[in-house]
Amino acid sequence: MIETALLLGRLVLGLAGVIIVGCLLVTWLAPAFTRLEKAAAGFGLGALVITLWMLTLSGLGECFTLPLVMLPPLALVAGLWGGKKLSVARLSKRAGFKAQTFLRPQTPSPTPYGVWDWVFISLLAIFFLLATARAVMYPVWAWDAIAIWGFKAKVFYLQGAINLCGFEAHNYYPNLVPLLVSYLYLWLGQVNDHLVKLVFPLWGAALLAMLFGMLKRLGLTRTQALGVTTFFALNGITFISHLFIVYADLGMTYFALGAAGFIYLWLTGAAPPRTLPVAALCFAGLAWSKFEGPPLAVTILLAAVLTLLWLRPPESGRRLASLAWPVGGLLLGYLPWRLFALSHGIETGSDHILGFYWNQLFKALPALGRGLINLTQFGILWPTALLALTAARRKIFTSPLLFLALFLGGNFLALLLAYAVAPTSPFEFHLYLRATLDRLLLHLAPLAALVIGEGLKFLETGEAMPAGKVLSSS
Amino acid sequence: MEKQPSQARDTSCLTRIPPRPHWLVRLILLLFVLQLGWLTWQFRKDISDMAQRGWSHRWGTAVREEDPFYQWIAEMGRNTPPGVTYIFLDNYEAGKEVEARYHLYPRQHLLLLPEAPPSLLFYTIRQNNVTYIFDRDAKRPPGPGLQAALALGAAQPLNLPGPGRAYRVNPKLITGGFYD
Repeated sequence: MIETALLLGRLVLGLAGVIIVGCLLVTWLAPAFTRLEKAAAGFGLGALVITLWMLTLSGLGECFTLPLVMLPPLALVAGLWGGKKLSVARLSKRAGFKAQTFLRPQTPSPTPYGVWDWVFISLLAIFFLLATARAVMYPVWAWDAIAIWGFKAKVFYLQGAINLCGFEAHNYYPNLVPLLVSYLYLWLGQVNDHLVKLVFPLWGAALLAMLFGMLKRLGLTRTQALGVTTFFALNGITFISHLFIVYADLGMTYFALGAAGFIYLWLTGAAPPRTLPVAALCFAGLAWSKFEGPPLAVTILLAAVLTLLWLRPPESGRRLASLAWPVGGLLLGYLPWRLFALSHGIETGSDHILGFYWNQLFKALPALGRGLINLTQFGILWPTALLALTAARRKIFTSPLLFLALFLGGNFLALLLAYAVAPTSPFEFHLYLRATLDRLLLHLAPLAALVIGEGLKFLETGEAMPAGKVLSSS
Repeated sequence: MEKQPSQARDTSCLTRIPPRPHWLVRLILLLFVLQLGWLTWQFRKDISDMAQRGWSHRWGTAVREEDPFYQWIAEMGRNTPPGVTYIFLDNYEAGKEVEARYHLYPRQHLLLLPEAPPSLLFYTIRQNNVTYIFDRDAKRPPGPGLQAALALGAAQPLNLPGPGRAYRVNPKLITGGFYD
């Protein structure tokens, strides 16, 4: 019992390390983020920085040790944060007022929590209690966790490096999740594949906190934002399952929300200043989480470009040029691993496109429709999102809501096309569909929650986002 | 900084009763509540199992140790040095091969079908200096490759009870010149 408590303490320290690194980075990049937003974005960005650093260490031929993995990224972000704090303090001293008043906007006194707030908070608390218990009580058992993510994490920890010699476990897949788990094994001092799963409910909580923050930024009240967040979390088993099965799709979903959600806030003018650099790092996380990350990132960029070209806001050219931030982020997440793979002779597997199979397209089309209305997988999330888009249909072509519609619609189309060209045998195709569709829809699901938030705002107030114009914020 | 609309609305809640939600919102909330019931039903077995395990302190590694396949694999892990190479005879779709690889790492893992012919099995043994063969299913008869290895004396059954069969292999006894 004491040993378990000690292990848990070490694990908590490891998780705190991730959050501290990420929070310092977010505070340095975007000081106007609220504490909740900093913690939510900080978790993912901390994981990104630490795992990219572990990749660098492996590239340099250094063996993973806890001080070597932890201290340099911590020192770097602390230095950046401290340097900025110091320069702001100097600036404010010269100007003759306190740095605090310069940095922090005046916030009104908090509204007391209402009944509905407590209902939603209680539901989320029960949800996390169950998900956390389910995660830490059972060792890794799900197929991809045993075959790929958890296996790689064990190998990287035992080898002290990204060493893929002697096995084939989709070696070309990006390694954010395995390296994050290896980093926690370093803290634990052993391979403990049930306690380590605590990271996944925490990651899910960060995702929900990020979603809640975005909904608030879009103008929803606290109760509404909590309601939509709860609605997303507790609709169907897909999201909750990914809080304990140790797949990389939770990371993908988190970074997809960060990348697309922050871009959407930026398009609506609701984003705090300097949101784009944070969004850029989410693009990096997207590319470093899964092989499907870069294509998804490209669809976000494409939707943003099309939205700007269609709406033609003031300073369209400057805004289009600002998208260089996410492009840079995408390259940051994609190139280091590609360079490592090339230099270490890791072959990039690819599903060779041999042809366009109409029969697969015709099978995928109803499967996608069924997936969207599958009560077990996503509850009523997708039909509600469709309803919200219908409710705000007049605003789609005159507001940044177009971005969300393009992103979701474009990705549904991309899914169908991907299934149409997938090189699977006819008797395997339905299994392939069944095994992948819920995961692919999960990547997009938080954006459906943003659509629902916009629809709710439209229904409750009669107006949605700033119509016909895109405000300047970054 | 521009005042957020949400802040304005939050403050207004103090002074007036919030308006009744739109009928569509109420309908969706009702459907959501019904869906929550369905979700709880979906997880009923997990909740019950977690409660029992929490009560009896049978969680973590104890969960894995209830699985006969894991017990067998763990026994093989205890009886084989970490540096060896083994062949696991199974079909990938059964999902047990990935478990064996996970638990037996850092031992070098090679997968062959149980029906592997002698030529393929012998080539793999020779090429990779294989010293163990693990067949996942003890109930099925040995495939042609394994039968040939047994007949040659290159594979010797190990007494490790479990759902599968384990063999010690001497690659030096496979001298080549064997054709299917």
